[in-house]
Amino acid sequence: MTEDPKLDRRRFLKRGVVGGALLLLAGAVPLALRSTLRRRAPGGPLRLLDEDEYAVFAAAAARLAPGPGAGPRWPTAEALDCAGKTDALMARVHPDVGHDFKRLLRLFESGLVGALVAGSPRPFTRATPEEQDARLEAWRRSRIALFRSGYQALKRLAHATYYSSPEVYPLIGYPGPPEVPALPGTPEAKEPG
Amino acid sequence: MSRRPGQILVGGELPELSAIEVDFVVVGSGAGGAAAAAVLAEAGAKVAVLEEGGHYTRADFNMQEAWAYPALYQEHGNRATEDLAIMILQGRSVGGGTTINWTSSFRTPERTLALWSERHGVRGLDAATLAPHFAAVEARLDVGPGNPDDVNNNNRKLWVGAEKLGWGPELIRRSVKGCARLGYCGMGCPLDAKRSSRTTYLADALAAGADLYTDCRVKLLQTDRRRARSVAADVLDRETDRPRGRLVAHARRGIILACGAINTPALLLRSKVGTGSGVVGKRTFIHPSVPLVAFYDEPIEGFYGPPQSVSVHHFADRGARVGYFLETSPVHPMLGALAVPGFGDSHRKIGERLPYVQATIALLVDGHHDDEGGSVAVSGDGRIRLRYPISAPLEEAAKDALANMARIQLAAGAREVMTLHETPLVIRSEADIARIADAPFGPNRHTMFSAHQMGGCPMGEDPSRSVVDARGRHHEFDNLWIADGSVFPTALGVNPQLSIYAHARLFATEIARALGPRPAG
Repeated sequence: MTEDPKLDRRRFLKRGVVGGALLLLAGAVPLALRSTLRRRAPGGPLRLLDEDEYAVFAAAAARLAPGPGAGPRWPTAEALDCAGKTDALMARVHPDVGHDFKRLLRLFESGLVGALVAGSPRPFTRATPEEQDARLEAWRRSRIALFRSGYQALKRLAHATYYSSPEVYPLIGYPGPPEVPALPGTPEAKEPG
Repeated sequence: MSRRPGQILVGGELPELSAIEVDFVVVGSGAGGAAAAAVLAEAGAKVAVLEEGGHYTRADFNMQEAWAYPALYQEHGNRATEDLAIMILQGRSVGGGTTINWTSSFRTPERTLALWSERHGVRGLDAATLAPHFAAVEARLDVGPGNPDDVNNNNRKLWVGAEKLGWGPELIRRSVKGCARLGYCGMGCPLDAKRSSRTTYLADALAAGADLYTDCRVKLLQTDRRRARSVAADVLDRETDRPRGRLVAHARRGIILACGAINTPALLLRSKVGTGSGVVGKRTFIHPSVPLVAFYDEPIEGFYGPPQSVSVHHFADRGARVGYFLETSPVHPMLGALAVPGFGDSHRKIGERLPYVQATIALLVDGHHDDEGGSVAVSGDGRIRLRYPISAPLEEAAKDALANMARIQLAAGAREVMTLHETPLVIRSEADIARIADAPFGPNRHTMFSAHQMGGCPMGEDPSRSVVDARGRHHEFDNLWIADGSVFPTALGVNPQLSIYAHARLFATEIARALGPRPAG
């Protein structure tokens, strides 16, 4: 993930009053996430996110991944620990990218931003599933590039961790990797060293 | 001459501070770095290759996306343009891009070489000059003729549809030997049937005495007047990817940069050296790639079989308009889920059809017209920023490509075709295709990715318009060369791996010639 809220903020300010006002508000409100709903504690020590940020991503991943309508065979994002895997992955990227990811989660959680973008004033973690989907849709289809980028960051991380899980393979008709044959014709590669 | 074989020195085992001195320091172990290192080491020079990524072998390649993308790709699989509109698939481990590429092997098209000569001031670089180097590389990589047995269902649909429409599909030559057609080239070949640089030129370099330092991220290039002196690298902890030490590599004779078309310009910019032309990091080309999926009644199983075996170059030259060529993409769960728009159950319902999906990609040939491509910049914190605006000519090409890919799949018998706009268009007949022209297209409005990175340090004779000459030597330094895809003045119009090898081999051969006779004993 390489989005840059600072740069995008500058772009918004050039783009017009609505975008500019939105970002000024977003920048002005405290994003301490005191009201974030932590549904479940992380399964292990977090490396990048704090527990509130973890809760925000977990809540987003729960909606981005297949929902209850998929049926009981489909694991939840929580069962596959998408948030924990994302925390571990993003802890290894450039520190500033990790910092931006944390800021993104705080912006996404903000009730004020939610009110402005999707008409839903509650923090994302406290919104109803319908409101959460509407928030994701609003970011996804926004005329403001920052929100579309932010949506893509959340979507890709949730889907990467969910759909790369072997538990999902049979549900999408993927038999998984094949057995590696021992081919007599395979050259013994020269390993360096 | 018998020389002691070189060693692989893993970053995690290096002391906190270390310094080495060799004849040549090669930064990067992909196609360019490995070929250059092999030529120079075999000429008798003492060579050290520094690689940012880890050293993995076939025993590590478990064909699981959850392991492969974080371990083997830049930014742990997260590299993208800064607006996230284009996902960048680029290798980062010993072997670089050759560890994870899809084996497609093409020589640089003559019309591209002619364009470089006519419009970009590249002199003394034509097909005849490159021919012996392509021949040598093809032999070393076991690049054979296109093989119909390599064509899986995913590629067969591209072949069948394009042939029906008279658009001349061709078999792709592949860099493999003993390929079991598993379909996991992009995650590292568990058989080493893919002839990556790790199993070929890097092995040759080590056999000739070169040393390989892994997990070393070169951050600075140090120069003195017209001489490149050394590079300074962070030695990375493999688990955290954070610095655990520092390595300084001094070069007695020269330094070869081969970090790829994003990281090489970034290294020069970060070091604030060799940027006098003002064009370092400009004109970055990526073959912006637009995918399209088709659904069939019969299983396609695009997750198995060689990822790419068929290409269509019928639209590569569209005169005044931006051209494109067509290939396929493997259809694995994670890659597919990232490409498909939407979320929740609507996204899931597409995923459930995975075995029946065919995926074609259009690779736009950028830089051949007036389009300036993208740019690479480095922030004060060292973070790389890749920008790539989709210009109107590229958008026109993308839409034309979507229409023609849809026609191909309908001709091949697809039940329906789906674009990857955020609101996908479902196409069942020619009448539906017209809707593509009006669908929103722009950053994060449609899935795009790039697996080919080029430009940013272009070749040319004019130091005000180029960074290196037509033998890879930097205009500002007598002993600094660049041997990777960044030297290409435009996109190639074909998959670049083979061209990077051949150019690097040409450059290194000329460097070695200047070294004089090989020392005895």
